[in-house]
Amino acid sequence: MMLLSVITFLPLAAALLLMLLPEGKAKTIKQGALVATGLTFLVSLGLLTKFDSGSYAFQLSENHPWITALGVSYHLGVDGISLWLVLLTTFLSVIAVACSLKVETRVRAFMACMLMLESAMLGSFLSLDLVLFFVFFEMTLIPMWLLINIWGGEGRAKAANKFLIYTFAGSIFMLVGIVGLGYLQFQTTGELSFDLVKIQEQVATGKFWAGALTTEPFIFWAFAIALLVKTPAFPLHTWIPDTYAESPTAGPILSSVMVKMGTYGLLRFCLPLFPDTLPNQVPIMVTLAVIGIVYGAIIAAVQPDMRRVMAYSSLSHMGFILLGIFSLTRIGLLGGAYQQLNHGITATILFLLIGFLYQRKGSTLFKDYGGLKSQMPIFAALFLIAMLSSVGLPGTNGFVGEFLAMVGGFNAAYNHQFSLGLIVVAVFGVVLAAVYMLYMFQRMFYGEVKEDNKTLLDLKGPEIALAGVLVVFILWGGLAPNTFMNPMQTSLNATLKMSTGKAGQRPVWTDTDAFIEAKKETTHRLAMTAKVNP
Amino acid sequence: MNYESIWLVLLFPIVGFLVQALLGTRIEKMFGRRVLGALAVLPILLSFAVGLMITLGTKGGPEASASIAQLGHWIDAGNLRIPFEFIVDPLSMTMVLIITGIGTLIHLYATGYMSEEREYARFFTYMNLFIFSMLILVLGANLLLLFVGWEGVGLCSYLLIGFWYKDIANSKAANKAFIVNRIGDWGLTLGLLLIIALLMSQHNLIADGRYLSYDSMLPALKSVLQANPIMATAIGLLLFVGAAGKSAQFPLYLWLPDAMAGPTPVSALIHAATMVTSGVVLLNRMHIVFEMSPVASAVICVIGAFTALFAALIAFGQSDIKKVLAYSTVSQLGFMFIACGSGAYWAGMFHVTTHAFFKALLFLGAGAVIHAMAHNQDMRNYGNLRKYLPITFWTMILGTLAICAVGIPGVFGFAGFYSKEAILGGALANTHAQIEGVQLGQISGWIGLGVAALTSIYMTRLTCLTFLGKEERWRNIPAETHHGDDDHADEHHHVLDANHTPKEVSPSMWIPLVVLALLSVGGGFMLANNGVFEHWLYPNDLPVLGKVSTEPSNIPLALYSTIAAVGGILLGLAFYAKGLPKNQDFDESKWSGLRRAERDQFGFDNAMTVATVDGGGDIANGLWQWFDIGLVDGIVLGFAKVSGGIGLILKRCQTGYIRLYALMMLVGFIGFLSYFAYALTQGGR
Repeated sequence: MMLLSVITFLPLAAALLLMLLPEGKAKTIKQGALVATGLTFLVSLGLLTKFDSGSYAFQLSENHPWITALGVSYHLGVDGISLWLVLLTTFLSVIAVACSLKVETRVRAFMACMLMLESAMLGSFLSLDLVLFFVFFEMTLIPMWLLINIWGGEGRAKAANKFLIYTFAGSIFMLVGIVGLGYLQFQTTGELSFDLVKIQEQVATGKFWAGALTTEPFIFWAFAIALLVKTPAFPLHTWIPDTYAESPTAGPILSSVMVKMGTYGLLRFCLPLFPDTLPNQVPIMVTLAVIGIVYGAIIAAVQPDMRRVMAYSSLSHMGFILLGIFSLTRIGLLGGAYQQLNHGITATILFLLIGFLYQRKGSTLFKDYGGLKSQMPIFAALFLIAMLSSVGLPGTNGFVGEFLAMVGGFNAAYNHQFSLGLIVVAVFGVVLAAVYMLYMFQRMFYGEVKEDNKTLLDLKGPEIALAGVLVVFILWGGLAPNTFMNPMQTSLNATLKMSTGKAGQRPVWTDTDAFIEAKKETTHRLAMTAKVNP
Repeated sequence: MNYESIWLVLLFPIVGFLVQALLGTRIEKMFGRRVLGALAVLPILLSFAVGLMITLGTKGGPEASASIAQLGHWIDAGNLRIPFEFIVDPLSMTMVLIITGIGTLIHLYATGYMSEEREYARFFTYMNLFIFSMLILVLGANLLLLFVGWEGVGLCSYLLIGFWYKDIANSKAANKAFIVNRIGDWGLTLGLLLIIALLMSQHNLIADGRYLSYDSMLPALKSVLQANPIMATAIGLLLFVGAAGKSAQFPLYLWLPDAMAGPTPVSALIHAATMVTSGVVLLNRMHIVFEMSPVASAVICVIGAFTALFAALIAFGQSDIKKVLAYSTVSQLGFMFIACGSGAYWAGMFHVTTHAFFKALLFLGAGAVIHAMAHNQDMRNYGNLRKYLPITFWTMILGTLAICAVGIPGVFGFAGFYSKEAILGGALANTHAQIEGVQLGQISGWIGLGVAALTSIYMTRLTCLTFLGKEERWRNIPAETHHGDDDHADEHHHVLDANHTPKEVSPSMWIPLVVLALLSVGGGFMLANNGVFEHWLYPNDLPVLGKVSTEPSNIPLALYSTIAAVGGILLGLAFYAKGLPKNQDFDESKWSGLRRAERDQFGFDNAMTVATVDGGGDIANGLWQWFDIGLVDGIVLGFAKVSGGIGLILKRCQTGYIRLYALMMLVGFIGFLSYFAYALTQGGR
């Protein structure tokens, strides 16, 4: 059974097939891409049936030697942290392709890029070998760069370059980090390996860093910088406004998944591999997160372009995810991990709607709009729901994740991990979110309709369906978050223990007892749940 | 009916909301507005009926013996559990009856008031959603569900203030309401977070993880805070920030006057009778915290008293009938906070109840006047309306007597008489609210007494300017020649001019007025009789403060407050009975300096707007231009220029051949990677 490989390479294979088709058959190419992403999504749903949420071990894993001379392996596996991100990727890829059906120029290359990007992202979420991860991580760069540079807006060249420089610069750091870890693994065990599971096994016993404690923070930051660029976190965020503003509609939708590679990487590598230096880095990380929350929100308020508002809003929202993760508490970690999904959904519906508007009028500048509420009532209603999710209104998915991240952050601060003042400021970000989102809503929907907008049509059936599906997830995630959070909890708790436990007491992913211990915890949780609801 | 049927109370409004939202326009087309209106009123009425039956079924016990209906899981995160659970106790049921009872009347009124508006369905969609959110707020059995309702009502308020969306000013008012409320929510959220962190730091205090559920949290807080009064003050003040936002206390009152941009039934329901009293409900729910913190209580008293005074003064400078009532609401909310600060929590709720009766009445009456006056809200255009609107006039007179707290001590009083008496008595008789021995609670009581007199004066001013006097001032507006009605066809009002003849409103509008008038007359008497309301709401002594008296022993309060009420009315009549004084006319430069200052809220609103909106905008633009684009981008692009020089050499390779380029990048990259790794492993050996 090679389910994970199938999921990862299905889109890539489809991309290659599409390249064989003649450029003229645009319709067939579009349908083919839609079928490919749809199929990938259906196959990835199979993960849910196979996944055991009581275990934190990597499941459905595939492990083969790849470049034996370098100790690089082809190692894939899925756990509670990556499970939903894989599903989010396959799901949003369908949406991204579906909303790109109106692309007319170089359709074949466009769809191939989209599919390649999907494969690269899936590969990153599933890789358990650092080198393999890096390859996939870098593989996202090319299609994204092409998407911006060929199908982008007027400032596309500058945007594409900025994107390239940023990501490239970050990657160099990560490469150094990966090589460093491989080298230390060789020193510790006498065997060269980049396998995450093997390295963490050594970290857990304390042997790994025993002789290299001064190196630990450096390698931590080598990873962190690359991942923070991707996230993006303050002050490494200035690529994202241009990328969002200049890419075609599908670009930001896919990048709202791509940025999760940043936070995912932090959860996957920066927490469990650097337990000794982590307490020292937490205040810095949280400070950056909180600055990002407030700074992003403040700047979002004065943007002239909807997509730039969304870009800075992403900076702000990703700050909450970082806050949750680096609170290093069970609740905060869960909140951060859950908020990754929510932000993916919320950002996608907003980009989708903005894209619909762009398709109608060719502009996303506020000065071209106003009064759309009477002109496009269904559009306005859907946009309202999306906006409410973005500002974290209770009842929507955005609230649960942010609230839990704040609970985690507050608890950590209360226990003197960092200053309480940071949380007080972070919570104020919720006020600022209302400021920029409502201001955006006002400029788009209130007032009189402009004369030349009186011909704009409201959303049609397929468009409503596309956005409607996302609305379902907004409400589902807000009213029954346990559906999504329960499968994560065991993995997150294990990650937390790996990151905060003392040497020798840290769990490892290969631990044979892991399964049993986790089972116990699930049973306990179920017992407690039963108490709540007799 | 059993408490477990409480989900029915919640079900009806949400079904109503869905019907209006999804089928509203279709129903309107097929069956007309009457049917659609009936479908909007019916769910609220049914909720009221069920609520009433459940209330009669409860025997009224303290919170500990409250009945909690579990309706399933919501958030299970680590050791934190927040279920969907709903509490049925005197406090929640009092509010349920107010919300659904007054709500039914106002919905009924709105079917008439909004009948000439477009988008009937959208209006009732929001209204039904509001009722649902408000019910969640009061019925939720944990603080997070309260928060769900709290933000939900804020949303509905936002949507309804901006209901007439073509006017950008309405949108700004709506944004202001939502954002200022969110500042309050910031405090409330921090309060919640602090409670969770505090209780989690005590091991095994709450075994089942329901850290925010009233039935487990409140007893736990009691035991923890007893040893830690500072923490009680911290939690108390944070919760109060939330309460002040929702209940429009200084300095967060700023949004409420602007909220009058919404349709008048909205002002009556949301911005007078129900939503704005949420803060008082919160303080009653969490009274254990405030009982243990004299400092937080004193702050509440002082802010309440200051707000009451400040808003009452501003009311004198307003010419817009709704604005007077808006400031009056702010002022009355201040009274409720005085009560809660001084420990007489039940008195606060009592005033919530009576205020719901008479303020809803006054707003609906004002709405009837506005409706009859072609949507002109300026009292300077009114006068002698008693002749044209007899029912509105008499019901509003009763409402005014109720808010002025008129009554004969020991015999009978209008609704406000009993509740205001209880508040002032509570403030003057207790010593709970104090800082360093300064009896701030009692000082607030005396201020409140003064404000009661001011209330009588400005309310008499409103009544006189609108209904009394011989002069019909709209007759002075020159009649416009109507140039065809077609370009006004979709607008809801024609203009007010000399030819206008006001007409009494339709039965769907005056029936609610009459019902509310009856409640404003007899409601207080019924509830105060033998302390029915007090004993129902708080059957036992308070856990920390014990018995809280509302009858000061050495002050003849009843006499004083009667003098304040009646004296105020007489004073008001003396000034305004003959009509609009010359120095309060349209030429505002002839107004006295004080009145102009009152009109401008003593410059406070303007200062805050300049500081936040303009100043904040400048800061944001500055940060964006100088930091983001200037500094960070400058560094990145500078770096790019250097590497761009190298890139020039390679430029020939990339023209056109995108695929080749992509392939080269990939191959080159993997090659670079392999080489780098290989070289390093060689070095390591």
